[in-house]
Amino acid sequence: MARIEPGMEAMLDMYFYETNSLLEQLDEILLRTEQANVFDSEDIKEIFRIMHTIKGSSAMMGFENLSVLAHKAEDMFFVIRENPDVITDVSFVYDLVFQVSDSYKAQIEAIQNNEGGEYELMDFTDLINKLLKGRDILLGEASADEAVPAAAVAEAPAAAEQNDGSTTVKVFFEDGCQMENLRAFLLINTIREECSFLEFTPSDVETNPDTSKYIIENGFLIKFKPIDNVDFVLKQIESALNVQSYEVVSAAAPASSEAPAAELPPEPKAESVVQAAPAAASAPVAPAAEVKEPTAVEKAQAAVEKAQAASGMQKQNLISVNLAKLDALHDIVGEIITTESMVISNPDLEGLELESFNKAARQLRKLTSELQDTVMSIRMVPLAGVFQKMNRIVRDMRKKLGKEVDFIIEGEETEVDKSIVDSLQDPLMHLVRNCMDHGIEDDVKDRINAGKPEKGTLKLSAQNASGEVIITVQDDGAGIDPEKILAKARRQGILTKPESEYTEKEIQNLILLPGFSTNEQVTEFSGRGVGMDVVKANVEKCGGTIVVDSKKGVGTAFIIKIPLTLAIIDGMEVTCGDLVFTVPISTIKESFKAEASQILRDTNNNEMIMIRGVCYPILRMHEKFGIETDVTDLEEGILLLVETDNKSMCIFADKLIGEQQVVVKPFPKYLAKYKIKNEGLSGCTIMGDGSISLIIDTNSLIG
Amino acid sequence: MTYDVIKEAVAKQQSGDKKLATENSVLGKVMTFYIGDQIYGIEIQNVVEIIEMQHITKIPHVPPYIKGIINVRSKVVPIIDIRTRFGKEEIPYTSRTCTIILCMDDISVGIIVDRVADVEDIHSGDISATPEIGMVNTNDFIQYMIRSGEVVKLILDVEKLLGDEE
Repeated sequence: MARIEPGMEAMLDMYFYETNSLLEQLDEILLRTEQANVFDSEDIKEIFRIMHTIKGSSAMMGFENLSVLAHKAEDMFFVIRENPDVITDVSFVYDLVFQVSDSYKAQIEAIQNNEGGEYELMDFTDLINKLLKGRDILLGEASADEAVPAAAVAEAPAAAEQNDGSTTVKVFFEDGCQMENLRAFLLINTIREECSFLEFTPSDVETNPDTSKYIIENGFLIKFKPIDNVDFVLKQIESALNVQSYEVVSAAAPASSEAPAAELPPEPKAESVVQAAPAAASAPVAPAAEVKEPTAVEKAQAAVEKAQAASGMQKQNLISVNLAKLDALHDIVGEIITTESMVISNPDLEGLELESFNKAARQLRKLTSELQDTVMSIRMVPLAGVFQKMNRIVRDMRKKLGKEVDFIIEGEETEVDKSIVDSLQDPLMHLVRNCMDHGIEDDVKDRINAGKPEKGTLKLSAQNASGEVIITVQDDGAGIDPEKILAKARRQGILTKPESEYTEKEIQNLILLPGFSTNEQVTEFSGRGVGMDVVKANVEKCGGTIVVDSKKGVGTAFIIKIPLTLAIIDGMEVTCGDLVFTVPISTIKESFKAEASQILRDTNNNEMIMIRGVCYPILRMHEKFGIETDVTDLEEGILLLVETDNKSMCIFADKLIGEQQVVVKPFPKYLAKYKIKNEGLSGCTIMGDGSISLIIDTNSLIG
Repeated sequence: MTYDVIKEAVAKQQSGDKKLATENSVLGKVMTFYIGDQIYGIEIQNVVEIIEMQHITKIPHVPPYIKGIINVRSKVVPIIDIRTRFGKEEIPYTSRTCTIILCMDDISVGIIVDRVADVEDIHSGDISATPEIGMVNTNDFIQYMIRSGEVVKLILDVEKLLGDEE
């Protein structure tokens, strides 16, 4: 057990957020490059940067084991970055890094779930040893390939310069310009773009103000290898702010001492002293000792800083906001909309001629609806994050199960409400696992015999369709065998009607019922008998639906439909007794008064109504909800024809009040244990006059 | 108050040690209210506010003691009638009838009481544990009792009241 350092609690959220997004980024890079089976240098730099950042922030937060782990991974990648050719066994590196990433996630989760600041400290010794070993192996290859450059620099800088074409320059700043260390750092940043290799002494100028003194006395030593032209870099150094003079300590090859003198830029400022190449012969003795200093670590830091500067530029336009604040904002907007209705349809205004008031009111309504749209859009995030995580699951299962599968992602840019995205992750994970485990055939021969390509296909797609997002998880595997399902359902005793009455669709959807798992054997990934019903429950929790569409031998598709956003709907207010109900307008086909001639009764005395030749069942609200009302004659009240999922019915209420935009509020937590939600109500809303209206859930009302 | 604190207070009173038995420290505050002639109390940290009776929106498919939901400053709060909850006869609401809004672990509930009495200190010397058996069917919700003179006040266990028990 370990404790979170006191005073750090406040930073924890930020740390979790940052580290988790870095790890996600890492996974993404790994998955992307693993397919290509090659690291490109940008990716290596990026991984290096991620590890470096994690190392730093973990150390700051006092999570020592995490910091050490990241450090070792960073070390290993340092070797790779210096010499990308050393990787002979790519999968070995991938496995290691994935392990690091997983260990990280596990430990962070443990910290996140801490109780009273205590969390379980994980032991990463094994993994760290593996990393060390990995590094050594790589290092071994590197030194076999060629002498490690860093070592060469340390031993014989003068000689190395001759070979590697680098130039060493000693820079002096103007007297009394102050903060020499920062000026030196600025200078480094200025020429960094032009150099393929850059080293400087003292190396900690950015962070250590004491280096100023050293620079004043001894000058600032820069060793660089220009990308194209030495002169250009020298010019930049010369023209940099506050630079008084510089001297070239050792110039690039061609090594002849006189040559560089000729190449030197035109005579600089009057006061600047240019000691050209001749110095190279004598000077190196002194700097040689200093040049030893800038070792691997500094070079790494320089690279990291550069990468950070680059990524910092891209991220400038984004800020991360605590979701709780957005929720609060969202609530306030909801209240503003309610209050707006309260003002505009205030009973005091009735019968008054208010031309300018109405004009202002229209403007207000326009603005509030814009405000609402904006707030909604803030909460919308693309599904890409969740989809990318599936990538990882597919990869792991592909390895473990030895199944060859192509994983295709489509429409990951589709946006849905943040809260929905969060609750979608688990169900999607389950579905993907199921498809990998049960869907795709275990034996490749089965696939070939069925005339399918050897490699299976798993497709995860999302699309927008009229206020809903449709997410499909589809495989081209064995499909669902209705016979098997039915037999299993029979054994489990979950059939509710005679077997012969089940349609194929109904049979397929049996697998979504609690306690159903057809896999004979429980595997690591699926088959514990919980799962599909949990998936269904999760999807329904965020207001969605899920159906199974499968064909034996062809494949299975799980189709999830979820609303774009939950919170605000256009509703029709109707009364029943002394209660007010809100019916979502999107489900209402029409509202009308019934005529006696239209009303029919079947043999069970169920009421039905005939509209334009089609017969619809009638549901009396006062009976359904046990409300006392005077309006019981169908001709007196109002009928609403509603439709969802291709099922229609008529709802009978007392009176129509009107249309209103309402903010959906869930029922209070205390009532969660009562089955209100499955009985035709989805939530409640506060109306303009402060009273509460219950929102009808047409789906469960019909079903 | 935790059960440990209550036990400790009771144990001190019952111990032979005179000094301990007469020790009388203030352990907290309770808000007291009447249901019929009986005084009940709720520890003050669970009380959010007291509001007048207002229109309650009925909801279907809930036990009869849940009267419905009300709007408390844009928050939807369910309302329990304590009388019905404790199996007592219902009486018409009067001008003294109040709703006390309670909150515990994020769950808010309003309870309807006959009238609110007072807010007073809990003295450790006055605390006594509930009898294990006997008592009326309200026993479940009583955490402990406070004696002041002849009057016994029953302190409700808010966790149980808001908890899952039917």
